[in-house]
Amino acid sequence: MGAVLQRLRQFSFLSALLRLLLAMLSGGVVGFGRSQKARAAGFRTYMLISIGAAMAVLLTQYQYAMLTGPWADVVEAVGMKFDASRLASSVITGIGFLGAGIIMKVAHQQVNGLTTSTGLFATMVMGLAAGAGFYEGVIMALILIVLLLNVMSPLEFAFKRRLRNITLNVEFNGVDDIARITRAIEKEGARVYDIDVERTERKDDRYPSAIFILQLARRNHSHSGMLSSVAELPCVHSVQELIS
Amino acid sequence: MLPLFDGIRALGLGAVAVKTLMACLCGTLIGLERSSKNRPAGFRTHTLVCLAAALAALTSLYIFLEMKLPSDISRIGGQVISGLGFIGAGTIIITKRMTIKGLTTAAGLWTTGVIGLAIGSGYYELGLLGTALVLVAETWLARLGSTIQHTPEYGVEVLYNEKTSLDQVLRFCKDNRMSIVNLTIHTAEDVPQAEYIARVRLRGNLRQDALVARIQQMPGIMTAMGL
Repeated sequence: MGAVLQRLRQFSFLSALLRLLLAMLSGGVVGFGRSQKARAAGFRTYMLISIGAAMAVLLTQYQYAMLTGPWADVVEAVGMKFDASRLASSVITGIGFLGAGIIMKVAHQQVNGLTTSTGLFATMVMGLAAGAGFYEGVIMALILIVLLLNVMSPLEFAFKRRLRNITLNVEFNGVDDIARITRAIEKEGARVYDIDVERTERKDDRYPSAIFILQLARRNHSHSGMLSSVAELPCVHSVQELIS
Repeated sequence: MLPLFDGIRALGLGAVAVKTLMACLCGTLIGLERSSKNRPAGFRTHTLVCLAAALAALTSLYIFLEMKLPSDISRIGGQVISGLGFIGAGTIIITKRMTIKGLTTAAGLWTTGVIGLAIGSGYYELGLLGTALVLVAETWLARLGSTIQHTPEYGVEVLYNEKTSLDQVLRFCKDNRMSIVNLTIHTAEDVPQAEYIARVRLRGNLRQDALVARIQQMPGIMTAMGL
């Protein structure tokens, strides 16, 4: 077993093939779980990025093998100036850019796509480890990334539903109503600690609106109860909870 | 590494010709698959990216092996990798409905660039294996991807008068393991019989029509319908 592993850590055609397949498989497993939620990045995307990252590290090892083998005479004449971490480091910046492209600002100061792009980023680093033949790293990364992205996601969702701090987007008649809404929220025992007015007057068939960030009286206080209380006010047209 | 390619791993007319042509071939193969799905980046884009990456790798070999200047042969290639990240970010489109298009194309273009670098550096095995794996990922594994079942997400609109009516709807959803993605309460201005309209987005395995029918029967609910 140890001897086999030792051989697979060496740079050869067979170990390169194995590492590429490992990168493809591990990227696919991460992507498969993510795809079940109909996210932007399908599991092909995860596989492609993982394969590309592994290829970059394998290419580095090939270059080093050439510099110390067939091209050793040039190295001797010119001097060795080679950085084995260079290609891998560029992979990290390159995928960082790609990830930035999928983060989008949606309405009401919310951002979408952050988990997808960090998931791609982590998958890429896992691909780098696969390309280097750092098999323990790949296995641990795969387990933990899948755990974080898939198993933890409903937990985080449930956690957010029970948070004391909630953000409401409220539509009303005019700016004077903000004080009325604040009073109604405080009557429920909650504390308003930020109000962000989005529109002050009726425009393009949309009511004036503001975002209220508030803290409920206690944990596990029902979020929908607070929404209902705000909706009951005659000056309020609509109220929506914003969940990031 | 296979001895088959040993004569053409560096420079020389034969090596340069094989490398550039093979880069074009691999880029075209990957690109044709994308073209056949009528995606924004077709086979010319992929071929150009692959060829350019191979040329970048060849140029760094030339600087080192021919001009014999002290240099890091992986530096130019590294910039190709981050530069293609930029181009990829540009192919990503965010639609009006806040969905993302072009991410797979961006990832494929980026991987094609790495394939070009491998071929240009003379690591043919890696370039060819990479091309094969990308083609496998994009063709028959893509079909596997489209068979994945998504957990359904849908909206339900409820018209009601009393605050407590909504509470029982939400409790029912919770008891049936439906997670509430979003909740908006509107004042029903155009509907004389009802006071409020709640729009709930839900995710879970309970079917929409079954849920709507069940809510419809609850006391205090005027109407419920699927969105």
